[in-house]
Amino acid sequence: MPVTFTFGEMLSARSVIGTTLAELGETHENLWVLTPDIGATLVEFRDKYPDRFLDVGLAEQVCVGIAAGLAYDGNIPVVSGMLPFLSMRALEQVRTDICYPNLPVKIIGTHGGLVGNGGSTHYAVEDLALMCALTNMTVTSIGDPLMVGEILRQSMSMPGPIYIRLAVGKADVVLYEPGEHDIRIGKGIVAREGTDATIFTHGTVVAQALQAAEALAADGRSVRVVDMFTLKPIDEELIVRCAEETGGRFVVVEDHLAYGGLASRIADVVVDRNLHLTAFERLGIPQVYAGFGGDEELRNKYGYGLDATVAAVRHVIAATG
Amino acid sequence: MDHDNAQDASSAPGAPPAGTAHGATATAEQRPSVAELEDLAFELRTKLLQLCGTYEGAVHIGGDLSSADIFTALFHYGLHVDPTDIANPERDRFLLSKGHAAVCMYIAMSMRGFFSYEGIVDTYGQLDSAYGMHPCKVQLPGVEASTGSLGHGLPIAVGMALSARHRGETHRVVCLLGDGETGEGSVWEAAMAARSNELGNLVAFVDRNRQLMTSFEGERVVFEPYPDKWRAFGWNVIEVNGHDMGELVGAIDEFPSPTSNRPTVIICDTVKGKGVDFMEANLAWHAGSLSPKDLERALAALETGRTHSSASNSSGSNSDAREKETV
Repeated sequence: MPVTFTFGEMLSARSVIGTTLAELGETHENLWVLTPDIGATLVEFRDKYPDRFLDVGLAEQVCVGIAAGLAYDGNIPVVSGMLPFLSMRALEQVRTDICYPNLPVKIIGTHGGLVGNGGSTHYAVEDLALMCALTNMTVTSIGDPLMVGEILRQSMSMPGPIYIRLAVGKADVVLYEPGEHDIRIGKGIVAREGTDATIFTHGTVVAQALQAAEALAADGRSVRVVDMFTLKPIDEELIVRCAEETGGRFVVVEDHLAYGGLASRIADVVVDRNLHLTAFERLGIPQVYAGFGGDEELRNKYGYGLDATVAAVRHVIAATG
Repeated sequence: MDHDNAQDASSAPGAPPAGTAHGATATAEQRPSVAELEDLAFELRTKLLQLCGTYEGAVHIGGDLSSADIFTALFHYGLHVDPTDIANPERDRFLLSKGHAAVCMYIAMSMRGFFSYEGIVDTYGQLDSAYGMHPCKVQLPGVEASTGSLGHGLPIAVGMALSARHRGETHRVVCLLGDGETGEGSVWEAAMAARSNELGNLVAFVDRNRQLMTSFEGERVVFEPYPDKWRAFGWNVIEVNGHDMGELVGAIDEFPSPTSNRPTVIICDTVKGKGVDFMEANLAWHAGSLSPKDLERALAALETGRTHSSASNSSGSNSDAREKETV
């Protein structure tokens, strides 16, 4: 199954946020959208529902606190911003004001991973570790712009909070044609079937993993790609199935710290469920504060680019062949 | 791996279900007089001390006593709340931003009929009690929010005030902060947001006891010019003696209309430990516990202070203490 690069107009995830929220604003009269000065993509909602749109300026903590107050009063607030700041500057508000009372607040934002060339002040590289640690929080990371709308729609009926991580958005490619997969929060997507090994990944790196699987197919290798877009609660049954069906060979690739993100979530399941793997390799950001560069250049530099992914899969197959 | 998102939200012992609390619903006509409110504040302080002498752990008694008159004025006079209908959308919302004064709020609310005082005293701080050091909405639905980490209550209050505005509801959102707490930057983020959104339905009370946990105002942290800070953020500022029930009631009577466009802060000049001479303006009594002997001593001091206060017809008897710590 090839990666779909040509599904009509290239949609950016960020504009999908705005369009979807404007649509949901109509069906959900208690939907609010809040942002700390990152509202460029929200203009559609702002113009349609100005009295349910709040830009607090550069003040992430009060942005999340206000969302809690709105949610206590029966509203559904969506906080949209840049994840390095929402996940860290406002972490205590997310934890104590939102997760502790289990309020239906959605945190959605961009700049998850080494994207956007902003430097380490602007890369959210530990956000998934932080969010997965919070009781009551559902944690997602999405690469396909069309999925963003679907996940936002599904999240409307959730009683508790959800974190939705995007990369930058503009260059995101459509991975799945509508209806191609059953997309449900908490269920991983088998983006490509295979039997020799499984690549688990999330977010924008899914596209790269599919390219890797395609390259490996040329060698006669059958590699499964799982888009584990929900990190919490994680799809344990799919992990168990992949262990059984792909020779117990796992490679995890992610645009996040290699320890604390998806690889760690999967490793927990492997240990807790006593799964017998034959090989496990994790590719992700090492313990560095990365500098500048293009997204692909940074992935290559830090060892989780396309070539490294292909090499890792070859390695786990060779080592256990 | 079943622990994801699993939280036991079963109700805790001591937390009465909504609608079963005893106590009458006070209407405006039934509101107590200033003298009656003073008696209620005395009862609140007495009960606070008794809890402090019952529970073996530390109680934040200093900040409880400094805010006892404010709580009394709010729960028995200012707030439109109904202990038998805690989810009424038209109720005023009360947010305890200085969450460590939870005990004072629990007891003030019990005196208004929300909870039973015995339920508080008998279970406070015990396993699975609804009553602990900081208020928990999950365990105790009668409170409006889970607070305790300082600087969180006012932002939540702003959200509730915005929600009320949007729905055209005319209740108020009232938030109690400590002055030490206003060192938190999120308080000023919220102050700016409240002004930007013209939330005249939001009223903040600051318990200005001029003490942090380990220092007096001005020793380590300079707060002055304090009321000007709020003015500079565009708030309507009212200053009162936070131990003068007449002044507190007067400030409540003059709350601006909830449909007005400026948030109001009532800065209440108070004394930490108010009413118990050995606790007043004493850093050691930020929090503590009382032995039976010291409980007796504290209750006697409270009684003496009351007699003195009535005799002089003034509640400003601690102005000397205040002056000493003011820079």
